[in-house]
Amino acid sequence: MEKKFYTVWVFFIVNIRRLFRDRLALFFTFLFPLIFLFVFGGLNSGSKTVAFNVAIISESKTQFAKQFVSQLDKQKTLKVDKTVTTFADANEKMSRGTLDATIELPAQFGAVQPGHTYPSGQAIVHYTQNGASAALTLTTVLQAELQAINTKLVKSPAPLSVVSVQNNERSLSQFDYTFTGLLGFAILGAGVFGPVNIFPELKKMGILRRLHTTPLRVWQYFLSVMFGNAVSGLMSIAVMFIVAIAVFHLKVVGNYFELALFLALGIILILGIGLAIGGWANNERQAAPLANIVVFPLIFLSGTFFPRYIMPHWLQTVTTYLPLTPVIDGARLIATEGQNLTQLGPQLAVMGVWLVIVYAIAFRVFRWE
Amino acid sequence: MTTSDKIILKVENLQKSYGGKKAVDGISFEVKKGEIFGILGPNGAGKTTTLEMIETLREIDGGTATIDGVDVASNPYAIRGMIGVQPQTPGFQDKTKLTELIQMFAAAYGERVNPKKFLDEVNLGDKADSYVESLSGGQKQRFSIVAALVHSPKVFFLDEPTTGLDPQARRNLWDLIEEVRGRGISVIMTTHYMDEAEVLCNRVAIMDKGKIVKLDTPQNLIKDLLHRGFKKEQRVEQANLEDVFIDLTGKALRD
Repeated sequence: MEKKFYTVWVFFIVNIRRLFRDRLALFFTFLFPLIFLFVFGGLNSGSKTVAFNVAIISESKTQFAKQFVSQLDKQKTLKVDKTVTTFADANEKMSRGTLDATIELPAQFGAVQPGHTYPSGQAIVHYTQNGASAALTLTTVLQAELQAINTKLVKSPAPLSVVSVQNNERSLSQFDYTFTGLLGFAILGAGVFGPVNIFPELKKMGILRRLHTTPLRVWQYFLSVMFGNAVSGLMSIAVMFIVAIAVFHLKVVGNYFELALFLALGIILILGIGLAIGGWANNERQAAPLANIVVFPLIFLSGTFFPRYIMPHWLQTVTTYLPLTPVIDGARLIATEGQNLTQLGPQLAVMGVWLVIVYAIAFRVFRWE
Repeated sequence: MTTSDKIILKVENLQKSYGGKKAVDGISFEVKKGEIFGILGPNGAGKTTTLEMIETLREIDGGTATIDGVDVASNPYAIRGMIGVQPQTPGFQDKTKLTELIQMFAAAYGERVNPKKFLDEVNLGDKADSYVESLSGGQKQRFSIVAALVHSPKVFFLDEPTTGLDPQARRNLWDLIEEVRGRGISVIMTTHYMDEAEVLCNRVAIMDKGKIVKLDTPQNLIKDLLHRGFKKEQRVEQANLEDVFIDLTGKALRD
């Protein structure tokens, strides 16, 4: 028995070394997932703070108006587009949707009216059809801003007020869903397209046929491929985590060891699909279409690029039982919600059933030539 | 000559059909320890199918094959540990060093070996850290042979080993095959080159349409034909064009 595992070990080590000599394989293992991470991470980073794109057009020459403009500029909720100075420009940008609203300060804004000791005036928020809700919120923001100034200018009691306090409880951000979805995508790509591309090639060159003339067993060969994929997959995922933490401020609260263990299981499960397809196919023409038929539904239904919570309820229920769904959900539950493996019973159960089905098929349909 | 009378491979009434057509039609032969046994015949005669059945790659439809007393059909894994197989076109995975490939093949048989020692045997010692895709055709054949011998098999199968090689590489391979026989390993080979069979094989079986037409030593087969009054156009030259080729370009192996 020890001899049999020595065989697995040698095949595993040689193939890992081979991976690091193959630039194309390195690209698909390490860089390819990162490209997706940067694209999708970039799309929804910063979505946590609401910001409005506004232009400020001030026709007032008063000191007060100038101060007010610079104060608005410092507001985090406002992104002031300084290139816009005329209403014509502003209207043009608003109609194209690049500006949410335009704040107008009329000529008399901030001037001290005769008989008064304090400045007065009315700011105007201009908006188009599309920016109605933005304008409403913006008006409220400005209202609050002006209210604060009013109380300084005119001492008057304010018996009722409201204040908002951020709760320290952590909540999931859009990026948490995106990131674990991308992990799933990387596992799917490496696990299915890896063997699907390599096995027909090995068969064409007669490499598997030659191995078939030795006492090597299918399980030994599969095991060495499983170890190899688990190790290269975990390395690839580790790079994704490092980038996500460094660039996209991902907060990992779970246990890394449990996470690695869970992801290794996920990699091996998905690899089984690739082994079944690649091991069965005689050539690329058989393998590629079958791989696509399996992979595309999983991409759209398992929450890789689109989180499953946007699906109708019945579809969420059905897709819970796909093989990739528990891998993505489980990774998120451990990494960003800090759950333990013992709390992942439902996910592990679905994965376990698929593991048996997928490998039963893979062993049955495997062909050496 | 290390040929002894010990029978290492025994084939009895071996049969294989594909869709009603008999590819191998009840053939029987025996191969002795340390002999080179040739299977000759036109394409489609059933040579490769015969080899593949004995190599456990194809199911045996009828009859038996035993290697050193072990039944092929019922003990495929034991048989695979006793044989070495050199396929027609040797393919190896790319970006893998020769030493690593030797290690892998040995590991497939559950053995640990010193790869350098095996590579030195076939003059590939200085290529130990090269990838297999950088080898020439002749080097690849030599490498392929040594890879099939890492576990000291009892029977060694070669399927058309010299097809596509230049005369130097071909002669070098002949030496190598004779060396394998010298170790007491029985060699079973197919070839389309009659000169090759005449030089190498102790005995040949000539197959046609799934049956063995004749089985004897090359010398006896030739003698037999001459006895029956066969006459070839007389040639006075004591050399042929290949002798000229070797004389002009030397025997040294080109890589």
